[in-house]
Amino acid sequence: MDGRTFFRAFRGGGGGKNGMSELVRLTEVTKVYQGGITGALNGVSLIVEKGEFTAIMGPSGSGKSTLLNLVAGLDRPTSGSVAVGGTDLGKLGESGLARFRRDNIGFVFQFFYLLPNLTSLENVLIPAQLKGSDATARARELLGQLGIQDIADRFPARLSGGQQQRVAIARALINSPTLLLADEPTGALDTHTGDQVMELLGQLNRDGQTILLVTHDAKLATRHAARVISVMDGKIVDDARLESPERAASEVIRVRSEEASR
Amino acid sequence: MSLKFGVLGLLKGEPLHGYEVKNRFEAMLGGTWEVNIGQIYTTLQRLERDGLVRPIGRRGDRGKLQYELSPEGHKALDQWLAQPDSGPQQLHEDIYVKLLLATRIANGDLKGLLARQKRAYLQRLRDLNRLEERARRDGRVDLARLVRGALLHTEADLKWMDELSSERFGAEEGARTE
Ligand SMILES: Nc1ncnc2c1ncn2[C@@H]1O[C@H](COP(=O)(O)OP(=O)(O)O)[C@@H](O)[C@H]1O
Ligand SMILES: [Mg+2]
Repeated sequence: MDGRTFFRAFRGGGGGKNGMSELVRLTEVTKVYQGGITGALNGVSLIVEKGEFTAIMGPSGSGKSTLLNLVAGLDRPTSGSVAVGGTDLGKLGESGLARFRRDNIGFVFQFFYLLPNLTSLENVLIPAQLKGSDATARARELLGQLGIQDIADRFPARLSGGQQQRVAIARALINSPTLLLADEPTGALDTHTGDQVMELLGQLNRDGQTILLVTHDAKLATRHAARVISVMDGKIVDDARLESPERAASEVIRVRSEEASR
Repeated sequence: MSLKFGVLGLLKGEPLHGYEVKNRFEAMLGGTWEVNIGQIYTTLQRLERDGLVRPIGRRGDRGKLQYELSPEGHKALDQWLAQPDSGPQQLHEDIYVKLLLATRIANGDLKGLLARQKRAYLQRLRDLNRLEERARRDGRVDLARLVRGALLHTEADLKWMDELSSERFGAEEGARTE
């Protein structure tokens, strides 16, 4: 398949099973950083369908962030191809890539990365301003949806970690991205706040948002993501699609201690 | 053991018939432990024999008999509750023996075993998550706590699989089996 048909084949998504359609396709992707002895990614092929909530897990240094950065178009693979929404990112120049990121990708990081001299609302509006659109109403609506409308005019330094991450999520969503990427979004939060942030991501997914999440927390990953990909040494070593049937309690847990017949 | 003390604990509240004990016990366990009425009657008879419960009412039709806690029963229950669970850790699942056998039979190559078990644990985590959600929705905080314990245990199991998977079984440290 040459580049042209490759490009066309994934345009429009073609319908997959269950009415799903392909959003992300990685084909034999490798990434060797400058000065890196072994590759950070070593032949990763992966398809993500629209509407999926996929968790990526693996030890630190296994290539999870590298994978997310390549999908986001923040970096380019050493070999192989990355296509998102039918667009082969390798075919885009720098400005094309910047436009692609702005229009298609929302990114949430472990340490929020809010601009300290802007208010919450102003932070949320940055990606929209890059696009030249006035999205103040939508920004306020998003803040409301995320339960933080009352902190719109506060600066990041006066926000808790959980509030800062919600602002970062609103910022990631302001341009209605086709794909939301989250790299350990609960990594800097306490358990309770992390649960809440993940609950928000789960709600977004139920509303149709495609999400690719890197996390260390298997409890949270399996709670919200129906697909768990395990990465090790820059390779995908497992790709588990989990089932979600209503199971009777006794099919999940048996509380039972040794009965002494005395 | 827990069935015996579970029955004692339920009778601490008020005297109950055998079938009430069964229903309340199962409801308390939220479907995670089913008992048959025969087990309940056997348990009640043993408790009566040991002087921990007393029947109220007419003998004869055991379905009509109510039981109440005796002072000794109260004491035994309080003692049991005050005692920490100690003694050997219970490892009931097959994986422990499978791991030991696979180390011998597959010459230390555990890859397949670990990968399959990991998937099973991931699925279990998902099922437990749904169970926890349901317990919270139903207002069963106590059950949700129990499920939370199971979640954390399964998370540890998963970490164990990952740790074993990332071990390099070199020839020098090869599995020593005795
Ligand atoms: N910008 C970079 N330059 C050089 N090496 C890098 C860079 N980013 C990551 N690496 C290396 O690539 C490997 C994968 O890193 P990363 O994708 O960040 O892993 P993870 O997110 O799973 O912890 C690691 O060995 C890391 O040191
Ligand atoms: Mg990382």
